Amino acid sequence: MATSPISDKVRTSGWEFITKTVDKRAIMKAAPKDPREELAELEAKGEVKVIHITEENRPIEVETLLGRTKRIPTNKLWHHKSCGQCGNIPGYPTSIMWFMNKLGLEYLDETHQTSCTAWNYHGSGTSNLVALAAVAVRNWHRAYETGYFPLIHCGTSFGNYKEMRNLLIEHKDLRDEVRRIMNKVGRELVIPEEIVHYSEWLHVLRHQIAALKIHDVSSIITTVHPACHVWKLVPEDVIYDPNIYGGQRPAPTTAILLALGAQVADYSTWYDCCGFGFRHILTEREFSRSFSLERKIKVMVEEANSDVAITQDTGCTTTLDKNQWIGKAHGYNYELPVMADVQFAALAAGADPYKVVQIQWHTSAWEKLLDKMGVDWRTSKAEYEAYLEELKSGREPEQLYVPPVENLNLH
Amino acid sequence: MSEEAVVTHHLRLDPEDVGEQDAESLLDAIKSDLRYEEVIHGCLNCGVCSGSCPSHRFFDYSPRIVVQTVLSGDAQAVKDMMDEYIWACAQCYTCAMRCPFHNSPGGLVMIMREVAVWRGMEAVHRLLKPYGRVLLKVLSIGNQLTPDMIQPDFFPDWGPKIPWSSTDLAIKRKAIPVYTLQVTTSAWRVSPETSYELYTIYEETGVFRLIEQIDPNLYEVVSDMVEDLRDMIESSR
Ligand code: SF4
Ligand code: SF4
Repeated sequence: MATSPISDKVRTSGWEFITKTVDKRAIMKAAPKDPREELAELEAKGEVKVIHITEENRPIEVETLLGRTKRIPTNKLWHHKSCGQCGNIPGYPTSIMWFMNKLGLEYLDETHQTSCTAWNYHGSGTSNLVALAAVAVRNWHRAYETGYFPLIHCGTSFGNYKEMRNLLIEHKDLRDEVRRIMNKVGRELVIPEEIVHYSEWLHVLRHQIAALKIHDVSSIITTVHPACHVWKLVPEDVIYDPNIYGGQRPAPTTAILLALGAQVADYSTWYDCCGFGFRHILTEREFSRSFSLERKIKVMVEEANSDVAITQDTGCTTTLDKNQWIGKAHGYNYELPVMADVQFAALAAGADPYKVVQIQWHTSAWEKLLDKMGVDWRTSKAEYEAYLEELKSGREPEQLYVPPVENLNLH
Repeated sequence: MSEEAVVTHHLRLDPEDVGEQDAESLLDAIKSDLRYEEVIHGCLNCGVCSGSCPSHRFFDYSPRIVVQTVLSGDAQAVKDMMDEYIWACAQCYTCAMRCPFHNSPGGLVMIMREVAVWRGMEAVHRLLKPYGRVLLKVLSIGNQLTPDMIQPDFFPDWGPKIPWSSTDLAIKRKAIPVYTLQVTTSAWRVSPETSYELYTIYEETGVFRLIEQIDPNLYEVVSDMVEDLRDMIESSR
């Protein structure tokens, strides 16, 4: 069989090792216990309350790395927002809500949420296991008392909450301590039946979402950056699909791009992190820059001729997007747009690039991509600028969503 | 292993132990962490973790060496690593995904970082300095990144579009069509009741006391905010 230049590159990158060894067969030799079975036992003993996925949540079943079935709720969801997304990539959450509106799904977005606090923990160590678990349970309980099921937007929150769920299930002393603290804030120890990331929600609804497409994206070459804390931190219940990479890599994000009709190109460093590093993005910036350029952006462009890097998490979107300009100083003249899967899907489905996808906050050059997709961003930009002027003159802002009661306090 | 040698697992460290930096006690704190047995199951010294470690490419850092050093029981060598070496880890968990022994060297590093901070090791003050703004936000409102943190002065290397995103910020945030996001000093509107509950969590888990010990100036600012908010909530009840 003839060897293509790319296969030489991927062989030396260790990609073969990863795809052959780090798959479900290798892990299943010592398959960890299914935490959901243990959770059900704890619930039966009255040790914990469980946030169940009900008919109202209209769950869709998928298969995970270990072949377990995971139920992904699609309706009546409580938005567990991401501080990095809301603070810095606002078109990320708005695109999710825009699709929920389009699909007529019910959700709750409100003010009684904290972040998971895990970015700071991974970066600085200034928290501890009990605090992380208590923060997680407080947010879960808030969702529980509203009757909505938590949908986790951030990949680090998703990974961290899976860790906290597993540790709470395994360790009675942790449960007891968290329960004691929850009593002090008038809450109870509750654990969701599944920890669900928005990319999983997007994945199970991909065909409905693709049906909303109005722009042909078949000429667009995408490259996917799977987020470390989504698929490496607690790998067992990540969605794998035999039709996507032969079931050897996580399916979410790639599958929605394929459903939309875009091309998904492979590249040899797909498994590498983005360079975010939690503390590095603030304190070791040269690492974040060098790694993101050398190991991701350069490879995506040179190997795959990518038109756009598609992400599924907060820190990766920021790192890959923000570190391209400085690269010019060292001859890295790449201009690769970076956006989340849900933003790309929203653009394809005709969402306003400025008002909904909020693409103007992205620093990498996205204009050529939008032209190639047939998105008229120039008109959108002019309308947005006029809208800013109207807001300055006191006009009330347009809303995709307003919380039903701002200070809804149920407990 | 004799019965006496079995370490009791701990859930969290005591902030009153800040300053306790005897090498053996640091190693003991690492090994007795509740998560230790989940992250280390032995080690083949195969180097697979280091082979795909992003930090190994760019720093003098190897997760294999971290694991081997902790397993060697050389407490002084472990202590030396906690000062600087382990802070190179990017917390990506590629090592955990690949280790044939199902270890999580990244998870071990996290335990070591926590111990380094909760014992107030020398490097921590230097390492935490750039974290002041993040810590202030996370302690006061439970958000870690807020729109007003993205300023050209802090991120000159992010290019010419950053000044755009920090100009007329309040109006641009208002133009995001989701009510909870139309703010500048937090990522979303956080209700006072939520911060109130968060403060109880930080108090009960020793986090506030830790900050008081390792960064008294930051603590002073935070405690003023805590007091004001508590007064506001309690007087409205
Ligand atoms: S978690 Fe740390 S040690 Fe492990 S691969 Fe990532 S950077 Fe390396
Ligand atoms: S991959 Fe695992 S077994 Fe191999 S050196 Fe690293 S920690 Fe040890």
